Amino acid sequence: MSGGKLSRELSTPRASRARALPSGEDREEYLGFRADKEMFAVSLALVREILKPPPITEVPRARRDILGIVSVRGQITTVIDLRRRLNLRATDPTISSRVLLVQGNDEVLGLLVDEVTQVYRLSPLEIEPATSVLGANVGSHVAGIGRPRMRGLRGEVQNASEEVLILLDLAALLSS
Amino acid sequence: MNASDAKDEFFGEAQELIDALARDLLALETSSRAGGDDPELVNDIFRSVHTLKGLSGLFGLNRLGSLTHELENRLDDMRMGRLSVSTSVLDVLFRAVELLGRMLAAARRGEADDDSELPSLLASLKTAGASKDQRADDELAAFELDPDIVRVLTEHEEHRLRTNVRNGTPLYRLRARFPIDRIDKALDELKQLAKPLGEIIAYLPTGDLPADGTLFELDILYASATPLEQLRHRLEGQDVAIHRISRKSAASHTSLPAAPDVPVQAALPPPPRAPSDTARDSVPLSLDKPFVDSTTNERAALQEPRHGGGIKTPVPPKPEEEGSRAALAGRMAHTVRVDIRRLDHLMNVLGELAIVRGSLARLTERLRQHATFRDLTTELHRLHRAFDRNLAEMQSGILEVRMVPLGQVFERLARAVRQIARQNDKEIRLVVTGAETEVDKLIVEELSDPLLHIVRNSIDHGIEPQSERAALGKPVEGTIALNAFQAGNHVIIEIEDDGAGVDHDRVIATALRRGLLTEEQAREIAPRDAINYLFLPGFSTREAVTDLSGRGVGLDVVKTNIARLGGVVDVQSERGIGTKFTITLPITLAILRALLLGVSGRTYALPLSSVAEATVLDARAIRTVEGREVTSLRGETLPLCRLERLFGHDRTAKTNTRSYIVVVALGGRRVGIVVDELFGQQDIVIKALGPSLSSVRGFAGATDLGDQRVGLVLDAAALLDEVLSSGERRGMEAYSVGR
Repeated sequence: MSGGKLSRELSTPRASRARALPSGEDREEYLGFRADKEMFAVSLALVREILKPPPITEVPRARRDILGIVSVRGQITTVIDLRRRLNLRATDPTISSRVLLVQGNDEVLGLLVDEVTQVYRLSPLEIEPATSVLGANVGSHVAGIGRPRMRGLRGEVQNASEEVLILLDLAALLSS
Repeated sequence: MNASDAKDEFFGEAQELIDALARDLLALETSSRAGGDDPELVNDIFRSVHTLKGLSGLFGLNRLGSLTHELENRLDDMRMGRLSVSTSVLDVLFRAVELLGRMLAAARRGEADDDSELPSLLASLKTAGASKDQRADDELAAFELDPDIVRVLTEHEEHRLRTNVRNGTPLYRLRARFPIDRIDKALDELKQLAKPLGEIIAYLPTGDLPADGTLFELDILYASATPLEQLRHRLEGQDVAIHRISRKSAASHTSLPAAPDVPVQAALPPPPRAPSDTARDSVPLSLDKPFVDSTTNERAALQEPRHGGGIKTPVPPKPEEEGSRAALAGRMAHTVRVDIRRLDHLMNVLGELAIVRGSLARLTERLRQHATFRDLTTELHRLHRAFDRNLAEMQSGILEVRMVPLGQVFERLARAVRQIARQNDKEIRLVVTGAETEVDKLIVEELSDPLLHIVRNSIDHGIEPQSERAALGKPVEGTIALNAFQAGNHVIIEIEDDGAGVDHDRVIATALRRGLLTEEQAREIAPRDAINYLFLPGFSTREAVTDLSGRGVGLDVVKTNIARLGGVVDVQSERGIGTKFTITLPITLAILRALLLGVSGRTYALPLSSVAEATVLDARAIRTVEGREVTSLRGETLPLCRLERLFGHDRTAKTNTRSYIVVVALGGRRVGIVVDELFGQQDIVIKALGPSLSSVRGFAGATDLGDQRVGLVLDAAALLDEVLSSGERRGMEAYSVGR
């Protein structure tokens, strides 16, 4: 069902990947993905699996952001469209679309995103509080803003990249 | 097994014990009413309580422990004949078992139970033990019985001995010898032979062990009305000497201690043989030969193979415990307690296998197109058929395991009826039929509350007070009939009382006042339909209670609970005659046969159990009644429901012009669902939708259709409700606007 290159990478033991990356400060891993034109990231620990979108069965009368249900190894799983959830412009899934299986508040949910980009290892220094960037009106689902820095081969910081990641608080995002 | 598993198991077992207790108490009450005395039953009850006491101690439930302890004392008194089975005693016992149940339930939820009742109950239990005739006249002295024997008998054994003497049942001493290495098997065989003809009162080792220790000698105190010749015949082939213990003659009466007839303890020397006055009756099968004799050993050796299939008892048991322990071992060997979630898991795996089966079938079909693979195809086809067959068998096997008789719930109800009737000072006769009808375990568990609710309603408000019944010429004793039976894929449970019935006019008046009906509707509504308003939440109010002599209390809850199980509840009532609730339930929740149907390009599954028939829709036959589409089916009006409208599907251009009607029927109500396509039947494993979809109505769950596709399973009961009540709601809107 999944079989993508990235999901294979995710299934390798965490330790071996960590060894390949520079050690250093107290870093946390984030999975980066795109919805519409915005870049997001969630804590990798909360992502169980990345799937190519299976056929989704629409559930009539469900909330608008609920795309429908899929069967993941016999388990009926509800899939939420991140675009609709965030009131972004809705489109049909494309070839790069993925469903992230994430641990929701009381069930495992699927989250449809446009594209999965990469895993980021962010130190606290690379995360800015959302309010300082976006003001007090920011939604509770935004946990912070990630500004990953470019690194050299030895992990030394070179310069700030152009990337801006919206770090999502899944619990807040998925509570209805 | 971790601690919580163990605890789950304890609660399960304890609950079963309490259920068994209640059942046995009811049986005891019945038999004592009939004037009988059932020592086995009292013993069973005693053992259950004893086991429960042990379990409570193990799990630190001290209050449960203290109650079982006192209960055990009284039951011990009963089985020793110190306490007779009377209504007042039974009452206390019933109360105690009831409290045990509540304490257990509280402990299960991890709450402290309400402890107000325990002290008073303990006190009544204690006083219920006020002893009866402590010592009957020494009837035993009249027998050729060694007082030493009587002294070593346990209290229960002595009680049984006295009872048999009082009944005039002849007493025997069976002196049996067994090779020591197979005493348990041999003893068991002897018991099997002896028990049908009489009662074994006690096992007493004689202690006369031969020097080489290969034989074991046992005296068995036995009471039997069977003639000696028959006994002898029955026990032929066993190494047993049968000796009738007769009444003493006047002469030997005085010399009793001098001539002990039955030897007792190890310290005693071998007894002198039967005194002269009993010799006539004494027919030893093996005379007083030297203890180790070759014939005995040979015989034992020859018998050995025959015992290969005998019941195995791990250790040579202490004689007085032997019976219960063997029974326990028998029970343990044949029962396994399984968490139902494990069965659910197996069922899921089975569902996956069913999908594999489907894919195999498709593959076989595709291979069939290629001439080159003919042989392989045939073989594959055969394999597929075998797979199919075994899968079906496995499925029915697992389903069978989940099935339990409704009797479990009915027993609990019987207890409740007794209790509620007493509280209301009413006499109620509960007539149960079909307790053996089997239903999915999960359904049975959820059924308890709704049934209790209905029965309580019947007693509280249905059955009139005794004086009223007498005045009406009805029998003073009210009757509640509990009938269960299977009808196709459904189980029907009826709860019928012969009480006052429901006042339809008052129901209609209340519905009118609450705005659930328009005046016009109220005039036209049939009594059968009016009574269904009892199930609306609005009716469960205090005002309604008094208005309707209590009917309607929480009946909406009953309806919701039953609906959750995929069932429907219906009520019929006649003034002055009685009320009948009918609950229709699916037999199992795990696997369903479903009809797959297509609407606007979507596939839905509809449980076949709720489908009455399917037919082609004749567009010309559609009429409109108050904005609702109806058609007629064999002369009856059938409301129609268009799923695409109900579900708000965008209307895709339909390729075929033909549509079908699937007639959904539950509990006497029908709706025709209009669909575009019928795909046929399929066995489906129904799975729950996630919490985020819990508020979506109309679906019972989802199922794998194969090909990675998921289909929604329609909730027939909810759809029926929705379609049939939407008209009412519309009527109500019109009403409120008109006002």
